[in-house]
Amino acid sequence: MRFDLGFFLREAFKNILLNPLMSITAVTTTAVCVLILGVGMLVNAHVEGIINRIGQDVTITAFFPEDVSQERADEVYSSVEGYPEVSQVTYVSREEALERFRSTLSDQPEILEGLPSDVLPASIEIQLADSRSSDAVAEKLQAEGFAEGDLLYNQKTIDNLNQATSYVVWALRGATALFFVASVLLIFNTIRLSIFARRKEIEVMKLVGASDSFVRTPFLFEGLVQGLIGAAVAALLVVWVNSVFVAWAQYELPFIPISSNAISTVFLLLVLIAVGVVVGIAGSAFSVRRFLKI
Amino acid sequence: MLVKIPLSSKPAVARVECSWRPSKARRTRLESTLIYFDNVTKVYGRDIAALKDVNLGIEAGEFVFLVGASGSGKSTMVRLILKELEPSSGTIVVNGVKLSGIPDRYVPKHRRDIGCVFQDFKLLPNKTAAENVAYALEVTGQKRRTIRTKVPQILDLVGLSEKRGKYPDQLSGGEQQRVSIARAFVGQPPILIADEPTGNLDPDTSVGIMQLLHRINRIGTTVLVATHDKEMVDVMRKRVVALENGRIVRDMVRGGYTNEV
Repeated sequence: MRFDLGFFLREAFKNILLNPLMSITAVTTTAVCVLILGVGMLVNAHVEGIINRIGQDVTITAFFPEDVSQERADEVYSSVEGYPEVSQVTYVSREEALERFRSTLSDQPEILEGLPSDVLPASIEIQLADSRSSDAVAEKLQAEGFAEGDLLYNQKTIDNLNQATSYVVWALRGATALFFVASVLLIFNTIRLSIFARRKEIEVMKLVGASDSFVRTPFLFEGLVQGLIGAAVAALLVVWVNSVFVAWAQYELPFIPISSNAISTVFLLLVLIAVGVVVGIAGSAFSVRRFLKI
Repeated sequence: MLVKIPLSSKPAVARVECSWRPSKARRTRLESTLIYFDNVTKVYGRDIAALKDVNLGIEAGEFVFLVGASGSGKSTMVRLILKELEPSSGTIVVNGVKLSGIPDRYVPKHRRDIGCVFQDFKLLPNKTAAENVAYALEVTGQKRRTIRTKVPQILDLVGLSEKRGKYPDQLSGGEQQRVSIARAFVGQPPILIADEPTGNLDPDTSVGIMQLLHRINRIGTTVLVATHDKEMVDVMRKRVVALENGRIVRDMVRGGYTNEV
């Protein structure tokens, strides 16, 4: 049979305008669902971002023996700098170490009085690109001549951090999925109620000789339009909330590494709108099917 | 008031749209028989028999009253013809097609060959009178231009030209029933079935509705009216098929509602 797109679109929009309350309910429900999904995706992205940054901040401090020569120290420094697991190496001289120590104890300067300037050993601070490689780097450093006791890093802390972050990430993903499933069911129910209110119409259409697809198509377009509007509103809201939050956090919580690049805005918009549209259409298709059996 | 519209004088019969075709001998008999019940029984649930061994043939161009008290099986017969229900046993042939042989997806096509008028009008509440009539053409995929010319003609025929833009709840019962008849008839189906068309209407309005059905019949459409409107049946003097407890108890060519003449 001829597929008259104009007719179906007209029918869909007419129905939306003629049942404003039902349409608003469906749009709002979709918006809330997409909002939940969007906020979940944001929280996930930011938490993962923060965790990755913390992982990057894992450092190994290697103390040189007292009698190390400046040449040997430079040699070690440049060789460590060449390790693939290492993202940054800083050389801390004896004077610098004392300076740091002094500044941490700046309110009690009397403790440091009379200490010789070479009381603290020189060291290199090694920042790892990946916290999981700490053991491998430690082994290499030992081969370089460092005693095990001269390496300062806490494998256990690092392991615990990795373990905890994977739990957090999976818990967040699970919660988002759960909320999402619940809200999809809510949308389905809303659409079903709105179609249930019009089951008499569907019956009449069928009695006049309309085929199933002829009855169904305007409902699908209706679901599409409602899903699109709800999802678009929610997606824009999510993007706006994200930018406001990132700006606020970077100003107010500078010690937490929150990045505005944690999630791509385009990706977020596309996913959320696609989800809204698909859920709208599927909800309508699912609900109409029950009333078509006459 | 009566505008002449071009209508095919001969209704299309014996159109075969599915695999079933009657044997040649039966086909000749069926050519002119539009509705044919052969030993039809319909049982609801386990043992509530609505129709028992009904045999009935309605020829093309006939006007038939189906009479009987509530619960005598009139509505069941109408719903069987529309393939809204399946018979428990027996065979129904409509328009040359055996109903049990029509697959589900061809049921809409089958229904387009039968114009239907109901006691409760069954109009779409969100559509105007004209849109309701147009819908019957839209479901068949008619061109918009055809719809724009046909709908006003039909509304004129039923005398509702001025009310075309009104919604069903702005129309009186009689007017709604006229819209319903216009919708049933606009696709020029060979058969028009009316289930208690005057059940919700006062006597004066009922006369108008019956005149309309009569006029449609004269153009060549087979009309089947299920009713218990005694006066109407007695005045019209058409073929009367009387049902009682699911059985046909009387079939008279120019009958009245009751047996006495």
